Amino acid sequence: MRLARFRQESVFYVFALPFMALTVVFGLWPIALSLQTSFTASASALQPHPVYVGLANYASILTDPDFLESLWRTMRYTAVAVIANIGFALLYALLLDSAALRRTRVLHTLAVFLPIVTPEVAGYVVWRWLYDRSFGAVNAALHLVGLPAFGGVASAGTVLPAVVIAELWAHAGFYVVIFLANLAITDRSLSEAAAIDGATPLQRLVHVVLPQLRPAITVNLVYALIQFLKTFTVVVVMTKGGPNRATNFVSYDAYRMFDLGDYGVATAMATVLFAMVILIGLGAYRLTARAA
Amino acid sequence: MKRRAALRPIAANGGAWLISVMFVFPFAWMLSSAFRSTRQILSAPLRIWPESFDLSGFAAIADAGGLPILRSLLNSLLITGLSAVLAVGISALGAYAMARRPRALAFRALRAGFLLTIMYPYVLLLIPVYIVMYRIGLLGGYVGIILFLAQGPVQIFLFEQFFRTLPAEVLEAAMLDGASEFAILVRVVLPMARPVVATVAIITFLLNWSQWFPVLVISSTPDTYTLPVALLNLNGELGVNFQGIMAMAVVTTIPPVLLFLAAHRQVIQGMTEGAVKG
Repeated sequence: MRLARFRQESVFYVFALPFMALTVVFGLWPIALSLQTSFTASASALQPHPVYVGLANYASILTDPDFLESLWRTMRYTAVAVIANIGFALLYALLLDSAALRRTRVLHTLAVFLPIVTPEVAGYVVWRWLYDRSFGAVNAALHLVGLPAFGGVASAGTVLPAVVIAELWAHAGFYVVIFLANLAITDRSLSEAAAIDGATPLQRLVHVVLPQLRPAITVNLVYALIQFLKTFTVVVVMTKGGPNRATNFVSYDAYRMFDLGDYGVATAMATVLFAMVILIGLGAYRLTARAA
Repeated sequence: MKRRAALRPIAANGGAWLISVMFVFPFAWMLSSAFRSTRQILSAPLRIWPESFDLSGFAAIADAGGLPILRSLLNSLLITGLSAVLAVGISALGAYAMARRPRALAFRALRAGFLLTIMYPYVLLLIPVYIVMYRIGLLGGYVGIILFLAQGPVQIFLFEQFFRTLPAEVLEAAMLDGASEFAILVRVVLPMARPVVATVAIITFLLNWSQWFPVLVISSTPDTYTLPVALLNLNGELGVNFQGIMAMAVVTTIPPVLLFLAAHRQVIQGMTEGAVKG
């Protein structure tokens, strides 16, 4: 009897076994290995008996002005990209949700979502060339309407806005769709009642609509923070960290170190970024969830 | 006042169309540039309809960088297809087990470990994954790439959400009939799960088609490169063949875009599901 019960229960472990194996082999083991490697000397990291150096790798990156600068740069960029993406997505979702766009809403949603399913590499390659001085459509369009030329990713002064625009194109559709899903389940009669009571459109937005959008705001904020802290592909495709290190974010910095064989330093950087992602992600979640 | 109210729908429509055109423009420009010669593009970078359909860009990438595009296309189909099938099967079984025995200690530990894994910066996870692949001898082959991509970030949640809504009476009735757990899964649960399986399969295909970094890290030669990796390679080469790059971007982009347009309701619903409710 007990054997039968055991067999009955064990079948669930059999079902979960492949998932468990993948999580351990390609998730937990690499993370443990990364932590371990961050305490070893780079040259010995891949040897069977690596040389442990304690916190030396952490000490070296945390006293390196270049790394601290890339850390600070990553946070500033994240702040700008998150505000731009969420701000645009919120306004655009409110526009698409209005009664005037009932018939074409699906079409506009498809247009803004299309970049989400487009391979990131392809999207950023196209943007890199859109910004090009001689090939690109961006400067041709600016010239057409008599505006000065835009340096795009070629100049340190304009590379950040150029990257933020490309990333907005690539990611905002997801945030728009989350806001739209939330807007679809809000209680419209509340807004109508407030209008009858004489509330202005702005008052209705701030006091009636936004509180109901809290779930979407929380999800989008946490998701966007994590996404932009890890900014990587756009840098590899469009800027390679330049010009003049202006887009040398932590992910890219760590990847460069890895590429140079400096495994100890690369994994120490990874741990620092991981800690940042967890702290900032959890902090944002608790902040927005608690304010409810 | 009345006139302003009447203008509002027109302004709303105008604004939305303007934004949609700006979002679609890069696609149109990419498609157009793939068929225009370098000289034509330089003389009119903004033009969308090609003067003539010049196919030399596609001819050039047929053998780009010693890696024929056909090879990368087949790699993309093989790697994306197989990893999607595996990801669907593995996460469906895992999610089903976890949904049926939510309190089992091993499953609670598994869930915590999985959450930790997906929180870890993906790019930086690949550094130690390279070492793991090296140790277990899967570096440089298809098996390593496909197995790594069979581990998905969202699939398990989509399945769990569905399995938790299964009516308990149906499962109990089957159990009273003496059916084994395996029989219940195959004959009762799976037929009901068909729509969610389809949704997860499509989303996984789209996600994995776009993957480039794991493929690059685990590959040791360009022989296992997928389209996005081959495109990145081409874009980084000296001696720019702009038209060829755009042609390659077109080939990389068209399959997922067509799949999305055919199944957009499932994709958008699947990707937003739970995000708002949960």
